[in-house]
Amino acid sequence: MNHNLFGRGFSKYTPLLLLLPGFLLYVIIALGPSLATGVYSFTNATGIRGAPVEWVGFDNYREFLFQGAVSRDNIAATIRTLRFSFIVTTVQFVLGLFMAMLLNQKLRGKTLFRTLFFMPVILGVAIQGLMWQLFLLPRGGPVAQTLSWFGMRSEFLGGQPNEAFAWVIVVQIWANVGITMVIFLAGLQTIPDELYEAARIDGASGWGLFRNITWPLLTPSVNTNFLLNIIGSLQAWQLFLVLTGYKNGTQVLGYLVFAQGFGQTSGSVSSAFRQGFAAAASIVLFFLVLIIGMTAQYIVNRREKRIMG
Amino acid sequence: MKKLNLIILFSTLVIASLLLAACGGGGTQTSPSATGTDAPRPVTLRVLVHQNPPMVEFMQAFNERFRAKYPNVTINMSVVNANDLSTVTQTRLTARDIDVIDIFGFSNAAQPYMRNVDPPNWQTLIEAGLLMDLTGQPFVSNYDEATINDAGSYNGKVYAINLGRVTYSGMFVNLELLEKVGVSVPTTWSELVAACEKIKAAGYSCMTAGGADGWPIFVGTYGLLGAMYPDQEALVEGLWTGTIKWNDAKTLELWKRFQYFATQMLEDGVTGLSHDAAPARFAAGDVAMMPTGNWQGPALEDAAPSFAWTYIPFPGSDNPADNQYLFGKYDQGWAIASDSPNQDVALNYLAMFSEPDNYQAFIDAVGFIPTQPTATLDSQLGRAVKPYLENFRVGYEQYWVSPKGAGQWANGSQGAAWFRPFNQWTDPVALANQAQADLQAGLDANR
Repeated sequence: MNHNLFGRGFSKYTPLLLLLPGFLLYVIIALGPSLATGVYSFTNATGIRGAPVEWVGFDNYREFLFQGAVSRDNIAATIRTLRFSFIVTTVQFVLGLFMAMLLNQKLRGKTLFRTLFFMPVILGVAIQGLMWQLFLLPRGGPVAQTLSWFGMRSEFLGGQPNEAFAWVIVVQIWANVGITMVIFLAGLQTIPDELYEAARIDGASGWGLFRNITWPLLTPSVNTNFLLNIIGSLQAWQLFLVLTGYKNGTQVLGYLVFAQGFGQTSGSVSSAFRQGFAAAASIVLFFLVLIIGMTAQYIVNRREKRIMG
Repeated sequence: MKKLNLIILFSTLVIASLLLAACGGGGTQTSPSATGTDAPRPVTLRVLVHQNPPMVEFMQAFNERFRAKYPNVTINMSVVNANDLSTVTQTRLTARDIDVIDIFGFSNAAQPYMRNVDPPNWQTLIEAGLLMDLTGQPFVSNYDEATINDAGSYNGKVYAINLGRVTYSGMFVNLELLEKVGVSVPTTWSELVAACEKIKAAGYSCMTAGGADGWPIFVGTYGLLGAMYPDQEALVEGLWTGTIKWNDAKTLELWKRFQYFATQMLEDGVTGLSHDAAPARFAAGDVAMMPTGNWQGPALEDAAPSFAWTYIPFPGSDNPADNQYLFGKYDQGWAIASDSPNQDVALNYLAMFSEPDNYQAFIDAVGFIPTQPTATLDSQLGRAVKPYLENFRVGYEQYWVSPKGAGQWANGSQGAAWFRPFNQWTDPVALANQAQADLQAGLDANR
């Protein structure tokens, strides 16, 4: 009996050929550039067509990690990236779960609230940034106005690095919590009501229902959100560009890659494009994401096996 | 079944081929080939400019005039933020998707005393053969020789025509407000401090700036830097060679003034004011001064302030003679992509732009200090800066290149933006020491 849907002989390769366009697309726009980045990280490439590219060995890595005071700034940016990722992942995860559980109840207008909470996800980064810049205007903005009632004032995004950094975290969570919520909602809706009814008959309520039914059965959504939040926040940089610009004390690794690659670090329009150096920085970021991502995946997979079998 | 598979296979290969063909190289030929008639071929000229509202408005009007003269030409003008200009230039040159490029005056070249620094972006573009050699084009001679040599030439060839100098070391002054408060236009640092105290005591703001964009805070103090170090090229050399230090006794005074400027002179909330919105804020009439570039002049005139104003060099020194200089840079220029399929049209575009009447109209619109000897800056701003034009000097940031390995605080010229409320520092001595340590780390790393 022939189990191959496409027959024998040459025809059996048809599925592979059908996959070919997608695979080529992946190679051209994802795998190829990723491998090229690795190669570029050992060069002084500028990204300018026709400009000579020289092999510089590990110079870019040496400069990034060990040279002068810039290595101190780069390591600080790496630590800041980890801090950003930890706070964003934790808060976004908890808030997204809370919102999903709230909107999974039989409430009037819940569709409207779901739409409202998800809406920031579909806005572009530039629009998200502009909205929050207006919201956080130090002169006459609504938040500044509210603070003034309590005799307080702030420069928000244009002020001290820690405060500006904290506001970027707020915006990042606001912009992405909708997707976390939707994934949790999808997970919650797969849990049969009968389980809750049976548990209630057995005397379970509130926290017991959540701990023994909701949380274990949400495992696939928990794992997906956990990984997406970690990887997304480690790679985040666009909001920093829009909200704070290249401000000392707020850079994260992703922004550093962009700023070095496109001459945005000095404020001069003549700055060199250091795309070889930026490639080295992005490889450092890649390994950071890889190590943290794989560790997280190992942990969630073990948990999933333990719970789901 | 086999027939179906063959059809699927064939379709797959066709799609794959199309995909590869789409991803393949090849320039975008926007001009159709000659039709065989004498009528000029239709051409789309792709022009890139940076955001500067009066300039963009002028360019739109100029494009209409160009189209009236050359009806076969359609102009596709892209406007990008100044910070993104070099990035967009690079990507569009790489994609062979641009004909005429807005390029800032050539600056930040590696000097003999600088070690292990990368060439500036414009130099890389020229060495990569991406900019057309404009040497000998008739319109080049419309511009003064110093401009051509300093701002658009490399290795003896002309690659850009520069359209104007701008100064960024001065400030706009609300003369009526000063008179109302009873202070005269300050000519020294001490007078400026006293004037600010009096202005604030009278319930007005002393200074404003477009701090939301970050750079206007420290650019506002380039006059302070210039008043202390009038030879800005020598300052850069001194910092590189160690004869000047960010934390020596003379420069420490600069840091103290930076801090005073950031904390005492600027009004509250400037971090939320964009550079483009600053002229309207100044025009409101309750701010006495606005330290910024003279390119804000046309925007200020558009905002139609109901008071008399002028533009003076920032009085950063207690010696009035040190405060007579205006520092600045060569601003916008034009270059042509070397592999543009529309070079003849691009050359016509630059030639028509460079005609004295058109250039004068451009200067009237944007308020640049002219680089054509026949043009004059005949505006309120022009009359204000005229007495200082003989003392125009190229500023520090046009020479400065950070050594590789230097830390983020090494470029001390940006110091005003590092004090609270704009950043974390509160002690000028500690910041001066940090700036010197960060610079020294870079210098040591390249020995």
